[in-house]
This record gives sequence, structure tokens and C-alpha cells, in this order.
Amino acid sequence: MIGRVLSSEFLKIRKKLLWLLVVAGPLGVVALQAVNFGLRYDYLMKQYAADPWGGLIENVSILALPALLIGLAIVASMAAGIEHQMNAWKMTLALPVTKRHVFAGKFLLTAFLLLCSCVLLVLFTVALGFALGFGSSLPVGELLSAVFYPYLAAMPFIALQSWLSVTMANQAIPLTVGIVGMIVSTFAGSRFPDWVPYTWPQLNNEWGEPLYSVAMGVGTGIVVFLLGMAEFVRKDVK
Amino acid sequence: MSANQELILETNGLTKRLGGKPVVNAVNLKISRGDIYGFLGPNGAGKTTTIRMLLGLAKPTSGTIRVFGKDIRKERLAILRKVGSLVEYPSYYGHLTATENLEAVRRLLGVPRSRIDEVLSIVRLTKEAKRPVKGFSLGMKQRLGIATALLGNPELLILDEPTNGLDPAGIQEIRELIKSLPQSSGVTILISSHLLSEVEQMATQVGIISKGSLIYQDGIQQLREQAKGRIRLGVSDPESAWKLLLSCGLPADWDHGKLSLTRTDNRTVAEAVARLVEHSHLVYRVEEETASLESIFLEMTGSEGSL
Ligand SMILES: Nc1ncnc2c1ncn2[C@@H]1O[C@H](COP(=O)(O)OP(=O)(O)O)[C@@H](O)[C@H]1O
Ligand SMILES: [Mg+2]
Repeated sequence: MIGRVLSSEFLKIRKKLLWLLVVAGPLGVVALQAVNFGLRYDYLMKQYAADPWGGLIENVSILALPALLIGLAIVASMAAGIEHQMNAWKMTLALPVTKRHVFAGKFLLTAFLLLCSCVLLVLFTVALGFALGFGSSLPVGELLSAVFYPYLAAMPFIALQSWLSVTMANQAIPLTVGIVGMIVSTFAGSRFPDWVPYTWPQLNNEWGEPLYSVAMGVGTGIVVFLLGMAEFVRKDVK
Repeated sequence: MSANQELILETNGLTKRLGGKPVVNAVNLKISRGDIYGFLGPNGAGKTTTIRMLLGLAKPTSGTIRVFGKDIRKERLAILRKVGSLVEYPSYYGHLTATENLEAVRRLLGVPRSRIDEVLSIVRLTKEAKRPVKGFSLGMKQRLGIATALLGNPELLILDEPTNGLDPAGIQEIRELIKSLPQSSGVTILISSHLLSEVEQMATQVGIISKGSLIYQDGIQQLREQAKGRIRLGVSDPESAWKLLLSCGLPADWDHGKLSLTRTDNRTVAEAVARLVEHSHLVYRVEEETASLESIFLEMTGSEGSL
């Protein structure tokens, strides 16, 4: 059943700007780093002489985090906007599908598209590293965890934005929440105690173990998702 | 009323309160298999709210809904598998073509892909199938909505004001389309409208809702009987003809202009004409008042102004 819902979701985002965004996000992050390394090549190469790949990954991460946090709000909003635009909720929900599956479909679509962006971020980063002549000592594990850990730790926000975007016809509200969240997390994230979700995507915690942030993110993400689903099921369709 | 037939849809005390007031109030709908049920009421009467509850889009404040004998609260999916619907203005994905719009719904229904071409041809959109729907006229969007409703081979079709906002040609087109459906597919249809004239020619049953309450529910034929109030008589001297008819014990009425009979059975009419001719009145016309079906509806709903 959820398979049918997802297959319909993918059809509906055909020819949508959404796909462009999925590619443009990671491309923009890596392009900015290409400019950064291009302009300050000698300086940065001296600084990261021992580990140029590590330096690149660190720089990419710094930009990728706010891009992920704002990107997830926009993708969630666009995914739900397809139904809001011509008020298709009443059509979809009068079909033999459960409201739970429809809600899960939007969340999974959003999560999947962001995952695509993360995969592209990995590929673009590797391409830039090779283009800069960093050679074959690519630290695969470091790169993958630098990209996918923040994605998993940001799961509460993916679930929250998906929930708000689906249940509110006016997308200004979820987008505002998303933008504020991005600013808070990026600029004040390290000043909050570890239990504040806005700190998790940065993977810093007092134990120095990024996986704790990931685990809390995934766990809380599931809870937020279930809360959103319960509200969506209870509410009358607009 | 086709009382001996299987009930396809039945509500009991269906009520919905919104903002503190009952928008739908203790409604008992009864729709039998094969009916074309005209669900009538002025704007704001509660038609859409009722239909949303029938489809499980909104939860009743109280009351029950049974469709195909099943409770909507317990077996919503099983019911919706056999129901096609179009609620208020059409829903569609503007950036997709007509075919893609239908495909998005088809994937949820799991019917064969060939069904898309079938429903497109039923609503005569085959030629426009590859165009983005945002460029469609309202009438075409409405037809696409009906095609979507038909996609799953429904046994019950629920159409909420499918002709709203269309020009007369569009209205005619949709009406012809709906009239042709029961013969071609044997469906039961619930169609709502704020105009009696719009469903009059196709409906077999009529339910009239006003301010949330169902104030009439019976066959269209019974409504017609009620409406056939009088027979108009065109005669040479209405006043003396009126006096003559009254003196013969016939139910005549004269409003200082036109003469009419307030009973319409054949015997009364025949006798009136015979008496008039007997007394050398010239009888120009004997006609039944037909426009009064609408006026009965307006009288019932007290809504002359809002139309
Ligand atoms: N959310 C709401 N809160 C309060 N009243 C509402 C709400 N939605 C609809 N109504 C009222 O319910 C009544 C019935 O509306 P509706 O079912 O759309 O009527 P119809 O389809 O017959 O035109 C209207 O008077 C409308 O103002
Ligand atoms: Mg309505």
C-alpha cells in the first residue's frame, strides 16, 4: 500500500522544480568550496598540508549544514504544496488509502529527496577533491559520516517540517519555522545543552561521540513523525 | 420511493457542528441501488459538509453512515474502493497532463492502465489527454474530475455540484454525460446542486436540504405531483366562466386576470371544459402549470433571494 502511495508521489513531482533543488543544493555547496579552494589554493593547501581531503570535507560540512536545514524546509513545503495548490487533499483522501499512508508518503518523499541530495553531495565533493589533485587517499568513512550523520541527526526537523507543511495550507508558517530553525541551529547550536535538538545536526556532544547525536535525532524524528501522523489522522480534511 | 430495493447508502441522525452551530442536522438519507439521487439545497445548506462526511473526509459530530451496508467508521477503505467522487470545485495537478493526473490516482487504486483511456473517452477528453491540465477550461477540468471519479469502476458515484460555475453549454455537456452513465455502467449516483432545474431531468429521487435539515425526500415523480397545482384555462370571459364553474361545484380560481382549476385530475378538467362549452364560452387554452416545480423548491427552502 505504501508502495502505491510512493509511486503516485513520485509521479506527481515530475516536471517540478523540486528535482532542480535536489541537485542545486549540493552543487551550490561544492561550487562555493570550489571557489574558496580556487581563490585561496596556496594558503589552504599549506593549512591542510597533512590532510587535504579532511580539510575539504570540513569546509564542505560547514556550508552543507545550513543548506540541509533550509533545504529540508523547502523540500517538505514543496512536496506538500503539490496537494495544497489545487486542494487535492480531498481527492486523494477520498480514495481507498489510509490517511496514515498518505502522511507517511509525504514524509518519506521528503526524506528520500534529501537523501538524494546527500548522495550528490558526496559525489560532488569527491569530484572536487580529485579536480584539486588531492589524489586517491580519499577517507571514505570520514566523508560518508560527515554527510550522512547530520542528515540522520536532522530527522526531527524533517519530520517536523513535513508535518507542518502537510497540515497547514499557508506555507509561510512552516517556511518561517524552517528558516528560524536553520539560523538557530547554525549560529547558536553549540551554545545549547546537548538535549536541544538544534545541536544534534552539528554532532557535538559532551561525550564526543557523533553517533549519540545521530541516535537521538533518529529516535526523536520517529516520535515527531508519529505525533504528526496522529494529528493528521484526527483532523478533518480541508 | 423505491422502498423495496437494496439501500446503497443510509445515514441516521447525521449531524455536524461547526463553530458551535449544526451545519448538518439529524439528516437521514436513503439511497437505493440504481437511483440517481438529486441532493438539493441553496448555497450554504450543508450539501458539501454532508458529502464530506459520506466520504470519510470529515467526522460526524453524531449519527451513523452506512454505505453498501458497511459502517464508514469501521470499513472506510472497503467502502471507498467502490465509490468515485468529485467534491466541490475540481482537484487536479496543474503541471501534469490529463493522463498523468489519472495515472497518479490509478496508482493508488490499482486498476489496469487501460482504464485511463476508457474514462478519458467517456468524458471526451481523449484529444486533450497530453496537455497540462492548468491550461484546461473549467468545463474540461470538471470533466477530468468526473473521469477521475469513474476510474475505479465505482458502484456509487458522488458528485458535488459538478456544473457549478459552468456556462450553459458546459452545463448541458455535463448533464448529458451524467445521464448517459447509469445505462453504460449501472452506477448509483448522488448528485448535489443548488438548482432543481439542473437535476430535474435526470434525478429519480430527490432530497432537499435547507439550513442543515433534510426537509424533503421522495421520488421526483411525487415532487412533480405536488407541483402540478393547477390547470390554466384561457377563455373568452374569465369572470363569468369562473362563476359558472363555482356554481357547478368545481374548484376554480380567478385572480382578476387568469382563470385556473386547482385540481388537476382528468375528470375535473373534462367536466370543466364540458360545462364551459355547454354555456357557449370560447375555450382557447387548457394548460398545466409546469414551472412550479422550481417554485415549490424555492418555497420549501425559502431561498428565493439567494438564487
Ligand atoms: N469550518 C467552518 N466553521 C463554521 N461554519 C462552517 C465551516 N465550514 C462551513 N461552514 C458553514 O456550513 C454551512 C454549510 O456549508 P456547505 O456544506 O459548504 O454548504 P453547501 O455545500 O450546501 O453550499 C455554511 O453555512 C457554512 O458557512
Ligand atoms: Mg457546496
